[in-house]
Amino acid sequence: MEKTRRRPAIPFNPLRTVIETIGALTLAFGRSVKAITSDYLDKLGEAVVLLARIFYRFPQVWKNPYLTVQQVVRIGVTSLPLVVVISLFIGAVATLSANYQFRGYVPDLYLGTAIAKFVIIESGPVLTSLVLAGRVGSAIAAEVGTMKEKEELDALAVLDLDPLRYLAMPRLLAGIISFPVLVIISDCLALVGGWVVAYGLLDVTTATYVYGLRFLFSVYDVGVSLGKAVCFGIIVILMGYYHGLRSDGGARGVGQASMRSVVSSSVLILVMDFFIVYFAY
Amino acid sequence: MNDSEYLIELRHLQKSFGHQKVLRDVNLKIRRGETMVIIGSSGGGKSVILKHVIGLLQPDEGEMVFDGQVIGTKVTQDFKAVRKRMGMLFQGAALFDSMNVGENIKFALREHNKQLTENDLDLIMAETLHMINLSPDICFKMPSELSGGMKKRLGLARVIALKPEVILYDEPTTGLDPITSDVINDLILEMQSKLGVTSIVVTHDMVSAYKVADRMAMLLDGHIIFTGTPQDIRETTNPYVQQFIKGQRRLLSEVD
Repeated sequence: MEKTRRRPAIPFNPLRTVIETIGALTLAFGRSVKAITSDYLDKLGEAVVLLARIFYRFPQVWKNPYLTVQQVVRIGVTSLPLVVVISLFIGAVATLSANYQFRGYVPDLYLGTAIAKFVIIESGPVLTSLVLAGRVGSAIAAEVGTMKEKEELDALAVLDLDPLRYLAMPRLLAGIISFPVLVIISDCLALVGGWVVAYGLLDVTTATYVYGLRFLFSVYDVGVSLGKAVCFGIIVILMGYYHGLRSDGGARGVGQASMRSVVSSSVLILVMDFFIVYFAY
Repeated sequence: MNDSEYLIELRHLQKSFGHQKVLRDVNLKIRRGETMVIIGSSGGGKSVILKHVIGLLQPDEGEMVFDGQVIGTKVTQDFKAVRKRMGMLFQGAALFDSMNVGENIKFALREHNKQLTENDLDLIMAETLHMINLSPDICFKMPSELSGGMKKRLGLARVIALKPEVILYDEPTTGLDPITSDVINDLILEMQSKLGVTSIVVTHDMVSAYKVADRMAMLLDGHIIFTGTPQDIRETTNPYVQQFIKGQRRLLSEVD
């Protein structure tokens, strides 16, 4: 019987081994990046298509306005206490930090100015939306995920009731309405929180603080803030609904859908924030 | 309306989920006004058949024909015109948790018949609840306060309030005690006799199947391996059917 031919032994070459290892690692890294990117792009594409389909149903809102009102109460009004607390503290903390950095270099007059800019452009819309992603987005994901699990979505379809029209559209519209209102409230309360600290702890007079607030105040900033609020509202509600729809069912699936909705809306909010600021200023 | 004897036809239906082929070649015809019971083992694809009939799933191959018209193929799904002619009772009843019982019954009615006043809706609801032997007082309760059997009856009430021609029942007696199961069986029979509906019942509860069926079909490995009356199915020598209806662990031929 013919002997199996052995491959000729390749002499060990450390340089080649190192280069081969680097090559293999690079390839593996490239493949995983490609897999992750294409997966994320697929999901983003699906979410955008879902958003377009929900927008397409907006003209039908007048047929069931009470559904949207219910959601405004759920998403907006009931979130108010949370927004009040976080906004007051954001303003207070921002004032303390600004004072720490300014003391001895920048006059107290600019304390109000810095707080107003920071609160209106950044902390108001971004932090409020991040907190609402945790409160509202996860609740929507869990609700839709459970409805899917319990066949309620199928039941809607079988009763010839379009789930996008009766579930998704009122929630999205309520988000678009509620987020800017909550952000405006958050902006105002953060400025109040800042004033409490400035006046109470830092010995800055009310007149100085208010003068600072008004010094470089621009309505354009408020417009950008509201624009951000609308975009972030859409992101939070859409991610909640999308991940609810994609949930695998069961306690674990619904939990994961909730978690994913919060993670993806947080990431998208910050990415979107970058682009809005980049193009707006 | 097509005057053919059959209202619903499934032709060479195939469906896979990932690599798992659930329906391999399902052919089934359902006559107008009859109750067809589909039996088969759990996880065998019985509910998948129902979901094809009502358009919740799209077949990979084959056709779903309703009243002479092809409405579901792997390319198109055109259930818009026939959706309101069909109703489905889900395994867990699928009542909307966020609404009370009354709203559950009235919601779809109100959306589809804008001319109905709240008074009309209340009347239809009371009539429907009477039909399933429940008092109208229940309409202010939330679904979470109800027992499994009660939920099933209300799921049925929600379906019949819309007066469909076809009712699909997905495991209507699963998880219920024998007496409540019998109540549901009687309701299925009443729907047929009083409203003249065509029904498809998916179940593995043989007591229920024998009681409600005009004809029965057995699904095995993605094929309909037997169709006939309850009498036929008792008398058949097909070992797989006998194994199922007698609840034996091993095939009859193996036992011999």
